[in-house]
This record gives sequence, C-alpha cells and structure tokens, in this order.
Amino acid sequence: MYKKLSIKILLTFVLIFFSGASITHENIQHNISASSGDKCVEPTEIMRAQHHIFVKHQSHETVVKGIRTKKYSLNNCIDCHIKPTSNGTYPSVKSEEHFCTGCHIAAAAQVECFDCHASKPFKKVAKQKQGSLKK
Amino acid sequence: MRDKTEYMVVEFSKATMMFGIIALSFIAVGLFSFITLEHEGHWLTGMNNQIVWGLPHVFAIFLIIAASGILNIASISSVFNIKIYKSLGRLSALLAICLLTGGLIVLVLDLGRPDRLVVAMTTFNFKSIFAWNIFLYSGFMAVIALYLWMMFEARYNKFVTKVGTFAFIWRVTLTTGTGSIFAFLVAKDGYGTLMAPLFIALSLLLGTAIFYKILFWMDKGLGVSLGSEIISRFRKLLIYFIFTVFYLTILTHLTSLYVTKNHGFEIFLLFSQNIYTFLFWFCQIGIGTLLPLIILYNKKLSESSFGVLLASILVIFGSFAMLYTIIISAQAYPLDLFPGYSENSSFYDGAISSYMPSIYELMLGLGGFGISAAIYIFAIMVLDFTPRYLDDEHTLGQNNKEKSITE
Amino acid sequence: MKKYEIKLNRRDFLKNSSMVGMATIAPGVFFQELAHGRALDEPASAKKRWGMLINTNQCTDECDACVTACNEEHGIEDFGRPTTDTQWIRKLKLTHDTSGETINVPMMCQHCENPPCVDVCPTGASFVRADGIVLVNKHTCIGCRYCMMSCPYKARSFVHENLENQLPHAPRGKGCVESCTLCVHKIDNGENTTACAEACSKDGQQAILFGDLKDPKSEISKQLKKYETKEVRSDLGLNTAVRYRGI
Repeated sequence: MYKKLSIKILLTFVLIFFSGASITHENIQHNISASSGDKCVEPTEIMRAQHHIFVKHQSHETVVKGIRTKKYSLNNCIDCHIKPTSNGTYPSVKSEEHFCTGCHIAAAAQVECFDCHASKPFKKVAKQKQGSLKK
Repeated sequence: MRDKTEYMVVEFSKATMMFGIIALSFIAVGLFSFITLEHEGHWLTGMNNQIVWGLPHVFAIFLIIAASGILNIASISSVFNIKIYKSLGRLSALLAICLLTGGLIVLVLDLGRPDRLVVAMTTFNFKSIFAWNIFLYSGFMAVIALYLWMMFEARYNKFVTKVGTFAFIWRVTLTTGTGSIFAFLVAKDGYGTLMAPLFIALSLLLGTAIFYKILFWMDKGLGVSLGSEIISRFRKLLIYFIFTVFYLTILTHLTSLYVTKNHGFEIFLLFSQNIYTFLFWFCQIGIGTLLPLIILYNKKLSESSFGVLLASILVIFGSFAMLYTIIISAQAYPLDLFPGYSENSSFYDGAISSYMPSIYELMLGLGGFGISAAIYIFAIMVLDFTPRYLDDEHTLGQNNKEKSITE
Repeated sequence: MKKYEIKLNRRDFLKNSSMVGMATIAPGVFFQELAHGRALDEPASAKKRWGMLINTNQCTDECDACVTACNEEHGIEDFGRPTTDTQWIRKLKLTHDTSGETINVPMMCQHCENPPCVDVCPTGASFVRADGIVLVNKHTCIGCRYCMMSCPYKARSFVHENLENQLPHAPRGKGCVESCTLCVHKIDNGENTTACAEACSKDGQQAILFGDLKDPKSEISKQLKKYETKEVRSDLGLNTAVRYRGI
C-alpha cells in the first residue's frame, strides 16, 4: 500500500508539472471497441474532454432528483466499455486493462467513481453473485 | 498601552531538539495510522456502528477546547487588563493556533473520506452545527492571526484590547459550538444542552493547565525562570476553574436526574460497575478534581512550581477522562425505541455497546499532539513569542509601574 | 469544445423549460397519467410520499426473508465482524417487561419528514428527496458519522472496509454512511415496490406493505385509515414514513 501511495504522490507532481498535456487526454491512444454499436454517446473528442462533467452532472440528477436517463449514466459507460479479457473475466478496476483505469493512470488523474460504483457490467456480476449465494 | 516586555527568539538547544524530535515522532506515528486507516478502512479501529465516535474524537475535542481555553491567558491581559499576564499574550495566542490545528487535523483525518475536505469547505448545510463550526474554527484562526499582529507590531499595540475582546467573544462562541455538537442530539439520553457551558468551563481549566505545563517547560528547558507571582496566579486560576467544572458537572447530572426518563442512563454512568463509572468517579472526580485541589491547597506543594505542575498534569488527565466519559458513554448506552419492552437484535439493540479503542486511534490522536507541538517549537524558534523574563522582579515590577501611572 | 458547451446548455434549457411547461400547463393530468411509475427523465415529485406499513402481528420469529432480500438486493456482504457490518434492515425482538409478550419488528430507516440526520449533516449529503425518501448523497458524504449519532432509530451504518463487486444499482463504498434507500432504484424504474416488501409477500408473512402515503386510493392509505398504526418514537415528532401495526 505504501507503493501505491508513493505512486500517488509521484503522479501528483507529474500532474502539477505537466498539467496542460495530461488533463486533455490528447496524447493518449486507447482502443475503444464498444460491444453495443460502434459509437459513444458523444464524439470521441468531446467524451475525452468532458466525460467527467457529464458523469458528475448525471450523478446529481440521479441521486438528488431521481432522474435515471441512460445516456450519461455511469452504468451505461461500463456496460459498453468494459470488455472481458482473454480469460473471459472482466478486468479488475485496479488493473490497467480496465478501460477507465488504464487511461487515468496515464493521465495521472485519480478516479473515485469505483470506490462506490460497480466497475463491471451487471449481468456478469449477477451471475457470480447467484453462484456464491447458492452455497 | 505599548508592550514593554522583552521577548526573545528561542535558540537551538538540547531541550528544543528533544522537544522537536518527540513532536516529529508523534507526527510520524499519526501519519502511519492515517495512511493505514485510509487504505484499510475503519474496521481496524475500535469504532463501529454503535460507537461511531471514539478516541480520535476525544483527542480532537480535547485539543480544540484546550485551544479555546489557552487563549484565556491573553484575554485576561488584554480584555480584563491584568498586567501580569501581558508578557504571556503572544505565547497564549500562538498556543491556541497550535492546539486548534492539531485538533482539527485529528478530526479531519478520522473522517471516512478525508480526501473530500474540499467538499466540507465548500458545501454547507447551515442547519448543522458542524457546518457552523467549520466557520467558527477557521474564523478563530484568522482572528488570532490578527490578534498576534496587533501584539507584535508596536504601532498597533493600542488595538490589542479591541481585537482581544473580539477574540474573547469568538472563542466563547467557538466552545459553545463545540459543546453544542452534543447538545442537540435528541436520540441520546446522555447528552443535554448543558454540554455547552460545561465545555466552556472545561476549556478554561484545560487551557490553564496546559499553559502552566508550557511555562514549566520554559523554566526548565529554555531557562526562563518562573517567578512565584506567576505560579501563584496560575494556582488560583486552576482552583477557580476546577470548582467551576466541578459545579457544572454536578449541575449536569442533577438536571439529568430530574427527568425520570434519564434515570437509566445516569444509573448506568454513575452507579454501575463499568468503565465509565470508573472513569467518572476515579479518574475525573478523584484524580482530576479532588487530588489537584488537595495539592493546590497544600501549603508546601502549592507554593512550589512542581506542585502546581503536578496539579496541572492531573487536571489534564482528569479532563481527558471526562471527555472520554461524556463522548463514549452516551453512545454505549442503548437507545430505548420501545419503552416498556426489552429489545434484542443482531444490531445490538437494547444492549450496552462495548468499545475498545485500537492502537491506530491512539496513534492518530498522538499525531494531533505532535502537530501542535511541532508548530509551537518551530514558531518560537523563528519569531519572538517567548518572554525573556518571567521572574517576580520583571512581572511585578511592570505591574507596580503601571499601577503607579494609573494612580 | 466551446461550441459543445453551448450545445449542452441549450439542451438542458430546452429540457428544463419543457418540463416546467408540462408541469404548469397540466399538472394534474401529467402526474395522474404516471401513477404507475414515472418516466426515466422525470424527477421525483412531492406529489408522492413513499412509505411502508408493517404489520407486526404477522411477522414471525424464524422468518428473515426481508433481511435476506435486502442484503441480496444491495449486495451487502457479511465480513464476519458483527459490530461493523452493515445492516439496512434488522429484526428486533421485543419482550414486554411485565407480560412477557413478544413482538417481532423489522426496523430500518423510518424516512422521517423531519429527519435529525438531515439537520446535522454538515455538507447536506443527507437529504430528503422530493418524494419523501431519506438518502445519503455519497458524492458529498465526508464520513463524519454525525448523522449516525443523531438517528433515533440506529438506522445507519458506516462502511468500514473496502468493497468490491458492488451492484450497479446500489453504489456503496468505504468511508461513507449508508442506510435503507427504500429501494429508490426500483421506484425510479417504475417498479414501485421494495425488496423487503416483495420478499415478505412472496416468501414471508405479508407483513410489509409498500405504497404512496399521499395517494388516498393506495392500499397503504386505506389501511392507515382503517387500522390503528404507530410511529416509533412518535414523541420526537419526526413524522415517519414507516408505520407499524401491533406495537
């Protein structure tokens, strides 16, 4: 855990010194291959720059007002973007294979969404859950 | 009105080095605890879903109310115009900042999400006394900073009384706010509105005792010899405040006992065989109240600086026990959801909850003390907070001179 | 990027203005139509107040269908540490001091109209939603636990450890306080029921009735009129949305 902390501290400095480049994601390449359709809810450039704004706005709408539209919901992101790895399981949110984590490590921005939110699509989780409940 | 006291910047010595090392090691211990808890979660502490506030909160509130109380020494000089305390004004304000910082840091580091401090500082619910306290605490810092400026800058010395009065009002409000955290909890039988005045009295007592400890350390470690006049003044202050706290403690329990509904809790706290009964009678009343009074009224001991120091240490211990008892016991005592029924559940309804603080909580609390101590030692080594002389000749001399001028 | 921001604002504006329009032109019709669940993009409305009526006469000793259903619904794990483990709903067993009569009472967040937890929360993370559900906004909860100190029902739990494998509809995480949400995700999806009420009617004893307290035609309103019901700690004047029969 100290390793994790030292990385965090290091990344904070990196973020401060190279903030212009890292925040906008512009230099980062990642392979987006959504399972349902080939388009995200907004063009890639907009998503790269503003996904956090959409998600944050949506979080307020949902929690406080009870609005549950799909378009900008975090679950919607996860359902499309989190794909099984070669061994058929979903990647852990701690691994770089996770869609969000990989990029966020590179961009040195901490994601706190998955402290609480599910980082894997629902169906898989539901199945795993049922399995554990049976025994 | 100009402050003619001679101040000094404390120079590096064996005593300051030791002080610094102890402070830093406390900070290291606190930091270790914080990092562990931040990564693993609060299950490592003794706190749980029944006892939600534990030892870290005792430490934090201890430091916060001590901060408010320690400023009393400055208030006595600038608000109530008692000249002998004038030379201690700067030190008093500095110590208030140190203790408040330490206390707040413990409070913040014990949060479930300490990373969201920004949220706490930007999103407010003004119905909550907690939100008010955030303003009271940060405002207190600003007021003391201003107060210190007035004391340091000779041209502004004339404003010290005004700013001091403002700081005095602010700090009484602050302690009221701290006490009120516990005053308006409808659910718990163990808390009542008398918590606010009780906390104010306790803050005065605690502040005086801690200040005396610092004076004693200055005498032994920094060579600022302590005159008998200052010692006897602090002895008297301690006696006044011990009686005030004692009186309010009795009043609190009698008020509570007047309401039949609260008898269960009062019997639990005062007349049972549990840790809180022991802490109340033995630690708070015995060691924290009666023993210091015996020492302070003992002819031989009360005149020596060591006797007053001993009383101060006992008072500090007793106050800590008192806060522990107040904060924990009311949570340990079960809620009565259904009067006339005894309750039983997997969530400890109807049962007295047990609380055993873990080493992490103790370490976190010590970290708070470490931060307070580190700021103090750093500050006195860079700025002239410390009066060069506290012996009778200087303190009384100044006093007499002032007297003759006014006469 | 700039261009987009304008677009976002315009869309929001249109959405909001159309909502306001709908609400002002034909409020009665508009909400009447959606009596059985509202649309996903429609905010919760103060025209409803969700609540529960629990008939303790029907609740039995052995049954814990409601507790199991709640844990399963929200992915509440058991860490084997009973003092720190989360419980959103629990069963209280009451024994009368003189008669020895026993009553089983499922106890959870009572969704007060004037909740002490909302009063004391420094950041406003504890709040009452328009339709009367008391929630914790975990985006602003700092984990101070003042709400737990203030709750007269001990309804809240603090998450003491790192969680993994949370369910998408039930976000929960270390360092935040949580409690019964009255299955808000089900209500928002138009299911208008709770996991505990469902389980109680299916596998249990039909002791829990969920419904809209403000709708005079709802079953819960009818029963509240018909039977003598009680609020727990009614002396505090909190006007709870969860009411009991048989205590």
